[in-house]
Amino acid sequence: MEIGLNHYLVLSTILFAIGLVGVMRRKNLLMLFFATEILLNSVNISFAAISHYYGDLTGQMFAFFVIAIAASEVAVGLGLLVVWHKRHNSIDLDKMSTMRG
Amino acid sequence: MLDHILSILIFFPALAGVLGFVVNKDSIRSYGVAVATIEFVLALWLWFAFDNTVSGMQFMETIALIPTFGINYIVGVDGISMFIIILAAFFTMIGIASLGDTKDIKNMIITLLFLQMTMVGVFVALDAIIFYVFWELSLVPMLYIIGAWGGPLRIYASVKFFLYTFAGSLVMLVGMLFMAYFYYQATGQWSFALLDWYRLILPETFQLWLFVAFFFGFAIKVPMFPFHTWLPYAHGQAPTIGSVILAAILLKMGTYAFIRFSLPLFPDASVYFMYPIAVLAIIMIIYTAMVAYAQKDVKQVVAYSSVSHMGVIILGTFALNVEGISGSIFLMIAHGVVSGALFLLVGVIYDRRHTKMMDQFGGLAHVMPKYATIFGIMMMASVGMPLTINFVGEFLSLLGFYQQSHILTLLAGIAIIVGAIYMLAAYKKMFFGNVTKEENKNLPDVNKRELIALVPLVIITIWLGIYPKPVLGPINTSVESVVQLMHEKSITEEAKKRIPNLLEDITITKTSMKGAH
Amino acid sequence: MELFLYTALFAPLVGSMFAALYSGSPKNIIAGIIPSILLGVSLISSTILLVLVLTTGHTLHVEMMTWMATGDLYIPFGFVVDQISVTMMMVVTLVSTVVHVYAIGYMSHDKAFNRFFAWLSAFVFSMLILVMSDNFAGLFIGWEGVGLCSWGLIGFWYHKESATWAANEAFIMNRIADLGMLIGIFLVFWNTGTLQYDGAFAAMQNLDTDTLTWIGIFLFVGAMGKSAQFPLHTWLADAMEGPTPVSALIHAATMVTAGVYLVVRSNELYALIPNVGLFIASLGAFVAIFAATMALVNRDIKRVIAYSTLSQLGYMFAAAGLGAYWVALFHLMAHAFFKALLFLGGGNVMHAMSDELDPFKMGGLGKAMKGTMILMTLASVALAGIFPLAGFFSKDLILEVAFVDHHFIIYSVLLVTAGLTAFYSFRIIALIFHGEDRHTALGFHPHEAYKFMLWAMAPLAVLAVIAGFLFKGTYFEMITQLLPATEYHVHSAVTYWIMTIGTQAFVIAAIYFAYKKYMSKDIKVPDGTSKMENSFAYKLLINQYYIPYFYEEYLVKPYRELSTVCWEKVDQKIVDASVDGIAKVFYTTGVKTRTMQNGNLSTMLKWMVAGTVALLSLAVVFGLAARYSGEIRLFLSGLGV
Repeated sequence: MEIGLNHYLVLSTILFAIGLVGVMRRKNLLMLFFATEILLNSVNISFAAISHYYGDLTGQMFAFFVIAIAASEVAVGLGLLVVWHKRHNSIDLDKMSTMRG
Repeated sequence: MLDHILSILIFFPALAGVLGFVVNKDSIRSYGVAVATIEFVLALWLWFAFDNTVSGMQFMETIALIPTFGINYIVGVDGISMFIIILAAFFTMIGIASLGDTKDIKNMIITLLFLQMTMVGVFVALDAIIFYVFWELSLVPMLYIIGAWGGPLRIYASVKFFLYTFAGSLVMLVGMLFMAYFYYQATGQWSFALLDWYRLILPETFQLWLFVAFFFGFAIKVPMFPFHTWLPYAHGQAPTIGSVILAAILLKMGTYAFIRFSLPLFPDASVYFMYPIAVLAIIMIIYTAMVAYAQKDVKQVVAYSSVSHMGVIILGTFALNVEGISGSIFLMIAHGVVSGALFLLVGVIYDRRHTKMMDQFGGLAHVMPKYATIFGIMMMASVGMPLTINFVGEFLSLLGFYQQSHILTLLAGIAIIVGAIYMLAAYKKMFFGNVTKEENKNLPDVNKRELIALVPLVIITIWLGIYPKPVLGPINTSVESVVQLMHEKSITEEAKKRIPNLLEDITITKTSMKGAH
Repeated sequence: MELFLYTALFAPLVGSMFAALYSGSPKNIIAGIIPSILLGVSLISSTILLVLVLTTGHTLHVEMMTWMATGDLYIPFGFVVDQISVTMMMVVTLVSTVVHVYAIGYMSHDKAFNRFFAWLSAFVFSMLILVMSDNFAGLFIGWEGVGLCSWGLIGFWYHKESATWAANEAFIMNRIADLGMLIGIFLVFWNTGTLQYDGAFAAMQNLDTDTLTWIGIFLFVGAMGKSAQFPLHTWLADAMEGPTPVSALIHAATMVTAGVYLVVRSNELYALIPNVGLFIASLGAFVAIFAATMALVNRDIKRVIAYSTLSQLGYMFAAAGLGAYWVALFHLMAHAFFKALLFLGGGNVMHAMSDELDPFKMGGLGKAMKGTMILMTLASVALAGIFPLAGFFSKDLILEVAFVDHHFIIYSVLLVTAGLTAFYSFRIIALIFHGEDRHTALGFHPHEAYKFMLWAMAPLAVLAVIAGFLFKGTYFEMITQLLPATEYHVHSAVTYWIMTIGTQAFVIAAIYFAYKKYMSKDIKVPDGTSKMENSFAYKLLINQYYIPYFYEEYLVKPYRELSTVCWEKVDQKIVDASVDGIAKVFYTTGVKTRTMQNGNLSTMLKWMVAGTVALLSLAVVFGLAARYSGEIRLFLSGLGV
């Protein structure tokens, strides 16, 4: 059986679902970052696969962009996380509720 | 300079207002008066340079803003709008000149100058988007004036004022966008220019929907029954100057917009909705007059009387003939002068006694005879005494509507009775009888600063009552063209019948003029 | 000649403004004298115009300037001096000059002396506008102007609650009628295309009767208010709260006759609609007797005279309604002279008695006030219509008109009223000047008025005596150039003499009866115990047929209550509450949904995911729907939708 576009898309969907559940369920900020990365990368997979399928490089280029931006985002996010941990000695999500409306 | 006089009229006060931030606090009052006076002189110059025989727009300026979508800065003035602009400049001037001891007087004067920009802007704008921008912008300074200098309920009143009118004008904006879209469909080009829209003939159903959309924006501003309840709160809480400007100018935006937008754009819908609107206007006239009679606060009496008079203006507008529309425009000016003066007069007594409750007064004619006299003149103007400014407008409005409906005019005419009832009752409570309250025994009469504001208003009231021609003439010329346009644009039989064709009338006019001599 | 017209018209205005300049300062005799002199000037100018009209028959028509012009409407300030208006001008300027001079004495102790003259002269100006205008709009200016001045003068002593109440009542009641007038004016304009008298009346000849009837009715409604005809009559008696010169000038001689003037001026219109005319005549006759009965028992001198005015106005309308316009105008003129005289005499009595108005508390004043007594008696004789005084000629003529036109009901009503008139007039004369002295016991010390006040009244007295037999012929000659010249002659001489002598005898009997009843020594100040005072008829009459009570209970109070309901219930509880209700919906939605924003990132992320899923599924649904729209339509049509 040849690995076709559909397989990649199914993989991407499964990964996306995993990421989504992670985003919703995780209470640890660090784990949240991991989940976000999974979400982004699941999209990257479908970008690359569809790009290959159509023979159009735009999708793969876009995937690179996403990787680059995800990297910088993680860098900034982790920096903030470290600062937060130094201040409050915890990275529990339920304790971060200063944005209450 | 005359080519750009309208832009100067709009932006000069705003620029001066910005500069006002650096002016010393002690000299801000004279600065404000100077700016407003220059503006007023410019407005008078506009009148002087205005050609009375031209019915169309004059002093037009066009600057392209977003040409792709047909949004341009187009301004112009005709007989309908010119006098309201002069009135706005005039009231800002005497408003600033008569400002009493106010806290943060600097902010107040700067706000007033900004407000002036938006007011002039609304009345000269000939592009729907520009009109809309100024229309909405005018809310901001007024919100600030009520919210910062108002009475105890000021936050509620100002938020209500803002949100209510804002909600209405959003519906109007949707109407404008549709109108532009229909124009695009008809011509293949986008345009928000009013003069372009005038040429567009819409099917009746479209007219009805668009009329309703515009109606919400305008009716809340006027305010028409049952959308009027923001007004008593706004007036009740606003400082004197706020009420004066609100009653004299801001309310006129609604009625002006009816004449500028609704009538010429949707002549058939205007005819279709004439009776419902007339009924609303009559409810407005009688009902609010009765409510005014029940008030205990003199400022609320004047506020409700404003609504009542606006009803007559609406009625005159929807007479859809030259007499009625001219009368309603004249009544806008008259009502501006008279109700503005009445609010100033209420402010005079409020400054002295810090209350507006009529049962706190009584017998004021003994202690403040000059005040009583001026109040009396303005009251009589308000009830429509002939040879005062209000009578001309009311007479023409009712006369005009009489052609459309006899019985409705008879009902609307009750205005002259109920108007007399609440005004005379209020006057009696305040001024007649003996002085019963100790605090009232030594009240000082009107002082020089207040007279500066009041005496010109008295003079205008009587002068234009006796000799309305300088104002009525240009109004008449422009209104005739509007009515003719409506007649030509209308498509239904009913509308053709209701809106007179002036070109046919010319012969009749001549003979009747001959008969008159 | 235009110069005289403008002088006659504007001299009072100048006088008014002059007096108004002093209104802030303490009493200054100048403020009374200058307006009086200017009114004299106006009187002289009017006389010159009268002579001109009388000798040459020319009329004067000037147009001063444009007032309103828009669309087809064109209204100038135009003035006309013709036979009708010159008569009115003479009456107005003459009576007001007399009243002005008189008032200098009458008001001499009032601290608002200057303001009084400002208002009084302003009134004269408005009245002249009313009678001299050449169009309906100008008439309306004067019409409202006299209403305004009447408001200011009735409420002149504004510290008195009753005075300001009466002023407001008068103004508002007149406003009710003015609405009718305004509608009449609109009808005239839209049907004839002009408001000028000559143009409008000419065009009316071609209109259908229905329209004309409506015009006639609406204009007459206006006249009813100003002339205080039933049911708008209550304000006139209450208006007696004003100073007496005001009552003499405004509420007897001039303003209240404006309604009659309007009907006379519109004679060309009313001639076309005799049915409305008959209604006017019937109403006039009704008001004549209705007011006369109320005058029979009233215990206030001024109110008695006011009712008598009302009754005489009824006579005038009866005449005008029957088409005898010149007779109505003639009676208007004669009435102005003797009624103003009567009022001014009443003013003297009032002054002498320190503002006491109850004639039962007077008695025997004739000794102290001989001059006033003579003048008032003369006026009453004239009012009663005894030969050869003015009233005889004008009033008997009205009776003859009714008789000759075969309106016998109107005739008999008016005849009875003539007897009543004589009775109540001499009732108060007898009570005031004759009989026992009842005032000394009550602590009054009456004194005669200033000499110059009496002299000021003299011209009126002379006119009240001679106006009838001296002027009737000339007047008829002049006025019939403009008005229908119908001569009213009873055909048989015998009938004529029986009628005349019978009427005279009847009237004299009424006078004799009044004297006999009220000069007797038994007259006491009524205290509510006598049999008559407890009779139903007396109660009905003294309470003015309970009409003011009815108005207060069933019109004024409900209006006040309805207003409060409108404000407190409808405006606040319904209209405003629904607006606030809509706002509240948004607000509570906000309050309820703010719990979503609890600040917990985890929860917010869950909402985000939920939102994304919802939007995505919507997109899918719409996408599918768009794709399979054809099938869906087919399916739906299969279901019969």
